[in-house]
Amino acid sequence: MSNDGNKGRGPIIRIRGLNKAYRSGPETVRVLRDVDLDVYSGDMIAVMGPSGTGKSTLLFILGLLLRPGSGSYSILGRDAFGLGRSGQAAFRRKCIGFVFQSCNLFERTTVYENLEFPLIYSGVKPRLRRGLIREALDRVGLSHRLRHPANQLSGGEQQRVAIARALVNRPSIILADEPTGQLDRANGQQVMEHFAGIVSSNKTAMIVVTHDPSVAAVCNRVYALENGRLTPEVDKGVPA
Amino acid sequence: MLKTRDLLRISVRQVVRQGKRTLGVALAIALGTAGLIAVATMGDEVKNNLNRDLDLLGGATVIRLGFEEEVHPGSRPQWFRSETVEAVRDLDGVDTASLATGDIDWLPVLWEDRFYAIPIQGVDEYYWHTMGLSALEGRLLDQQDLAARSRVCVMGLELAGNLFGDGAAVGRLFSIRRDLYEVVGVVGGLQIRDRARFAFLPLGTLLDRGEGCPLPDRLYVRCRTWDDVEPVAAAIPGLVAANQPDEYLRMDVAWGPLERIKTVVWWVELFIYLSIAATLVLGGFGIWSGMMTSVAARTREIGLKKAMGAEDMDIMKQFLAESLALGLGSAALGVGLARLVVAGLGSYLGSAPPWPVFNSYAGHCLWFSALLALAAGFYPALRASRMDVVTAIRYE
Repeated sequence: MSNDGNKGRGPIIRIRGLNKAYRSGPETVRVLRDVDLDVYSGDMIAVMGPSGTGKSTLLFILGLLLRPGSGSYSILGRDAFGLGRSGQAAFRRKCIGFVFQSCNLFERTTVYENLEFPLIYSGVKPRLRRGLIREALDRVGLSHRLRHPANQLSGGEQQRVAIARALVNRPSIILADEPTGQLDRANGQQVMEHFAGIVSSNKTAMIVVTHDPSVAAVCNRVYALENGRLTPEVDKGVPA
Repeated sequence: MLKTRDLLRISVRQVVRQGKRTLGVALAIALGTAGLIAVATMGDEVKNNLNRDLDLLGGATVIRLGFEEEVHPGSRPQWFRSETVEAVRDLDGVDTASLATGDIDWLPVLWEDRFYAIPIQGVDEYYWHTMGLSALEGRLLDQQDLAARSRVCVMGLELAGNLFGDGAAVGRLFSIRRDLYEVVGVVGGLQIRDRARFAFLPLGTLLDRGEGCPLPDRLYVRCRTWDDVEPVAAAIPGLVAANQPDEYLRMDVAWGPLERIKTVVWWVELFIYLSIAATLVLGGFGIWSGMMTSVAARTREIGLKKAMGAEDMDIMKQFLAESLALGLGSAALGVGLARLVVAGLGSYLGSAPPWPVFNSYAGHCLWFSALLALAAGFYPALRASRMDVVTAIRYE
């Protein structure tokens, strides 16, 4: 699962000296301290650590949903923090796909409509949408559920729909926050296998935040986040 | 950026799928809109009917004109000239005007070898409509009777009963002095009062009697609505003076009953409009409340959409569009309801509804509903658009 072949092409994401602190009453809690990270195309990176260590915060910063205290962040060669709100939103539309712990499918919508939203925001023409949606659903094996009400699917299927929704725009980076957190072992395993297949076939990079060693086991690089510091290259399969 | 077509499709779908949550609000706006359009469109028609009905009870829109020679002994008798009558009929706000004799003649009538002294008034063909009288049996005097100066007579209900018995008057012949007259009808109505004891002859027939005949010195003017009474009453003296001598002209207007009727109707109208306004305001509040609830319930959805790349303005537009879809959809339903109500009212009142007026009010109501919906949805939409994305995604 090494990714050395990509390193000659330069990272998709390069983070240097990232810091983030929160105020908690009179105290300031530093959740991220001088975090450095390079992510290459085809990388599948697990960030592990106990709850409350700032894993999700790191993911939100990587997804341009949260601003750090300091540090630099280049994404596909561009200074991500230099983008305005609108520019960051545009970047999310085109380059980033999110998968969250609870499936977060939209209520009272079908599978098709769930997958259509990212395409609508990206300005994809209606006649092109169906093909992209079907392609994304094919990857997770759910194209037969196209018109099914999303809330009537099983937990595993819902999470696969969420993955398809993250993929539908063909993003360069997939950010997943505990994507198997609410699934049983078998479904969790299946979801991670889908991710692995997508990353390897699609030249996409993926960063997954988890505390589940079996999730980390699927990834080619594993980091631990502890006391705000990202410890590189923890041995695979070893929980932090 | 959201395209308009997608925005509308998503918003309408969302409103429809919310179903029961929006049903109450939609009904309130629809009923308010329907009420407003129906009242505004058919208001004049209903008012005219109300005028007619109330006037039948009180005669408040009839202006009575005459000359007061009796209180000025020795003055020259006056009567209304045909030019005056025509000019009054042409006045704005005048429905009809009827010329009649004033001094009621008590003439000897011979029937079955007995003489009766009965009051007789000469009237024109407009008299019945002006005074709110209608034929109970037979017919009323018409233009032909007037033109031919026919020897025919219409009797008041009481007189006909006293002379001939109930239901037996039409076709009877009787004599006034030496001339034979035929009873062609029996008249009644809410305004008949003491005229129930009168016999009515064509005005020309009575005037032809020559010596001792009364003059056409009574002019009864029926106004279209009670709002017309004041301007018509103000215009009449000048009009009479312009066409003939107006010395001792007397004009009686039922100002007291008129004011009472206007006050009652004003209160009724106020109540109706306040009810409609309250319904629409409640509808607007319902939209605001519903949208606030929706924003709270869909916090995670908002966060997710922002994570997908939706901008603040996209979120704001979506909630405003949902509010607009709810408001406009409800108003459109109200317009449909109003159309049914107006058609029904038109049929009931026997008049053709003024559809151009309806269309105009329908258009205005749709605009108003759109504004109401946008105003009511603005704050919830703003709140949704300003929601912090991380807080929204983590919202439980």
